Amino acid sequence: MTVMPGSIHGLIGPNGAGKSTVFNLITGVIPLTAGEIRYKRERISELRPSEICRRGIARTFQATALFREYTVLQNVLVGAHLLAAPGLVPALLWSRAYRERERRARERAHALLTSLGLGAVAGQVAGQLPHRDQKALALAMALATGAELVILDEPLAGLTDHEKAETTAVLRRLAEQSVTVLLVEHDMKAVMGVCDTVTVLDHGVRIAEGTPREIQTNAVVIEAYLGAEEPGA
Amino acid sequence: MSGPAAGVALIALTAAALPLITRDSYYLDVATTILMNLTLTMSFRLQISTGQINMAHISFMGIGAYASALLVTRAGLSFWATLWIGALVAASLAVPIGSIALRVSGPYYFLITFAFSEVVRLFFNNFFEGLFGGPSGLVGIPKPGRVLGLAFDSKLALYGLMAVMCVVVVLALVRLDYSRFGLTAGAIRQADLVAETLGVNVFRYKLTAFVLGSFVAGLAGVFFAHFRQVLHSSDFGLEPMVLLVVFTVIGGTGSVWGPAVGTILMTIASELLRELHHYEILVFGAVLILTMLFAPEGLVALPSAARRLLRRRRRQATAPAGAGLAP
Amino acid sequence: MSIELLVQALLNGFGLAMVYVLVALGLTLIFSILEIINFAHGEFYMLGGYITYYAYALFGLNYFATLGLAILTVGLAGVAAERLIFHDLRGRALNAFIVSLGLLWVMQAGAQLAFGVLDKPVPSAFSGVVRVFGLVMSVERVVVTLSAIVLIAALYLFLRWSRPGRAMRAVAQDPDAAALQGVNIDAASALGFGVGCALAGGAGGLLAPLFAVSPAMGALPVVKAFIIIIVGGMGSLPGAVLGGLLLGGVEGLGALFMGSAAVNILGFLMVIVVLLVRPRGLLSGA
Repeated sequence: MTVMPGSIHGLIGPNGAGKSTVFNLITGVIPLTAGEIRYKRERISELRPSEICRRGIARTFQATALFREYTVLQNVLVGAHLLAAPGLVPALLWSRAYRERERRARERAHALLTSLGLGAVAGQVAGQLPHRDQKALALAMALATGAELVILDEPLAGLTDHEKAETTAVLRRLAEQSVTVLLVEHDMKAVMGVCDTVTVLDHGVRIAEGTPREIQTNAVVIEAYLGAEEPGA
Repeated sequence: MSGPAAGVALIALTAAALPLITRDSYYLDVATTILMNLTLTMSFRLQISTGQINMAHISFMGIGAYASALLVTRAGLSFWATLWIGALVAASLAVPIGSIALRVSGPYYFLITFAFSEVVRLFFNNFFEGLFGGPSGLVGIPKPGRVLGLAFDSKLALYGLMAVMCVVVVLALVRLDYSRFGLTAGAIRQADLVAETLGVNVFRYKLTAFVLGSFVAGLAGVFFAHFRQVLHSSDFGLEPMVLLVVFTVIGGTGSVWGPAVGTILMTIASELLRELHHYEILVFGAVLILTMLFAPEGLVALPSAARRLLRRRRRQATAPAGAGLAP
Repeated sequence: MSIELLVQALLNGFGLAMVYVLVALGLTLIFSILEIINFAHGEFYMLGGYITYYAYALFGLNYFATLGLAILTVGLAGVAAERLIFHDLRGRALNAFIVSLGLLWVMQAGAQLAFGVLDKPVPSAFSGVVRVFGLVMSVERVVVTLSAIVLIAALYLFLRWSRPGRAMRAVAQDPDAAALQGVNIDAASALGFGVGCALAGGAGGLLAPLFAVSPAMGALPVVKAFIIIIVGGMGSLPGAVLGGLLLGGVEGLGALFMGSAAVNILGFLMVIVVLLVRPRGLLSGA
């Protein structure tokens, strides 16, 4: 599978096809046993997840994964870890450079939260947020890393139609800002509407790849879905 | 003055005020012990903040203690040098030990550090008796020597030394806790995989906390050696380690001030109950059980737990019946 | 160093280890069902020892009847402890650790106040020795080892074939799924804790004639139990047996070469090696 920079790339397939597994492999959460994964020509297959993030790849999880005891702002600040470039000694000494970096990180965090509609809840505890806000926060945390490739695992799950439209608009904006988006989704209408390219996975094998139009009319794909379940909308 | 600064100031002022109230050697001893325990529990809590319960913390205290004792008695070095050397030895050993132990997490980490601590204790107790004194212990460790014209023979001077050390350590650890380091540590504790995918090298963070904590434990150990002037392997075994854990957890691990609350209260309680011998242990045990059942986040969280309880009672009283409000 | 000496050392080690396996099985059972490590486990062992002292040594009850009494009584004590203290602490390891520590202190200080600190000897239930192929074992030790093995087998059968046993295994595997299938989690937890403590009590009764009873007698067996379950794998019952065999072998052989105090270090070194190579234990997942 190849993902082109600046595009929105969808990964779809019947349940159990292995979509989340692909994400876990790319982000280094599970070890790769065969083949390789390259990012910008560099082999990233053996790196630990923090190193992969350092290269510019961030992700969200299917079960929204947040730091539930922290506030919304704190969650995003953790995401800014790489950009704030912390060190033990500066933190201990509370140096001016350290304080300056933290101040800038806060400003960036607030701006990011506002752009995702979370500006008003910055001080709220993450574990108490409504579902839509939690999903937005997860996205904010991934974006806070300054990643050029964000991998989103079911970003639209559990959202109302209105919220889905909001989120897809955000994704399009990201693509315009040269952030590449790779996502897994079950909502076919949304996927076909927002993605530039779609890859279809079935039983761990890529069975098709192309524009949404091509995929929708691909016989193999239809067969795979009808064999398992109707493509949901 | 900001919250954390006020807290450190409070500790510093209380420590400074004590000698003005009493010069009694018994009270100075107890106070010195409290300060030493506080140094240990604060550094232990640093490690807990990243989610690791390091049962070998006390072993690094022992390593610092024995290193300094031997360097002073055998190599003729000054306490003021061995203070740093002892702590560095502890920290250096913490690097390989921590790297090994941190390969696992949760209860496995707890158990492997416990195994390490027993190995270290048994090592000091049964091997190289000529050096470490074996089961009878190592005796004859001198008090700190003169420095800058000041003598450190008296209880008061030793108390002062420990007070300064403790305040510096508390200051450093509080600062760390309120910094990005503390933020990241808490993130690791809550969801380490998420932190890792956000770019945090979780292993390196935990190892840093481990080594830093061990360095402080080593410092406390060096002081301990020259304060008590006698070392025995049981000083660094399961019992004192368990006490450290209790002091820290009773106080509350969620806040950097928890260890302070727990250490001070429990040490005082222990002294007050000392006369009762077996009843003391019985009461202590009952206190532990009751505290953990009714104040699981520790004593330091009691005010906020009480507030939450009051808020809930008030809300129940004012909510119309059958309104079906979500909690 | 003759072969006989080696085999003799191994046998001695194994024999004793089987009793420690009982303690370990109890500990690992409690861990698998409640996800907590019960540090007071050794005190239930001690309780079994004292019941044996009073019923068998002082009162004159038949040894095996006393054993049954110890197992039953300590089991009930375990159920009480779970209901009163531990059941809310499921999964909260640190708090459970502190609570079990508190319980340890309460039970130990209570024992010191109730029974006095001195060792109380318990007479051997069986005299004489058994000679096989040039190897010598006291009848007492043989009975103890065989009884331990019988209890281990009984536990296995109970867990495998009985309804409550299967319920406990279901909870150990996946509490949510078990609850959905109608298993009463509270009952399974209480029963699990009770059975775990009962095993410790039985072990205490078995070793009482060998080592005398004292309030602190639980410390060593529980440490051995921890070593066993770390090596074998926490939550794995066959692992506990394997861990016991390994510990028994290592300590038995070690006793030939170094003093008894130093032998203890071997168990911990074994733990460190296992935790480096296979952190979850040798048979985890079994």
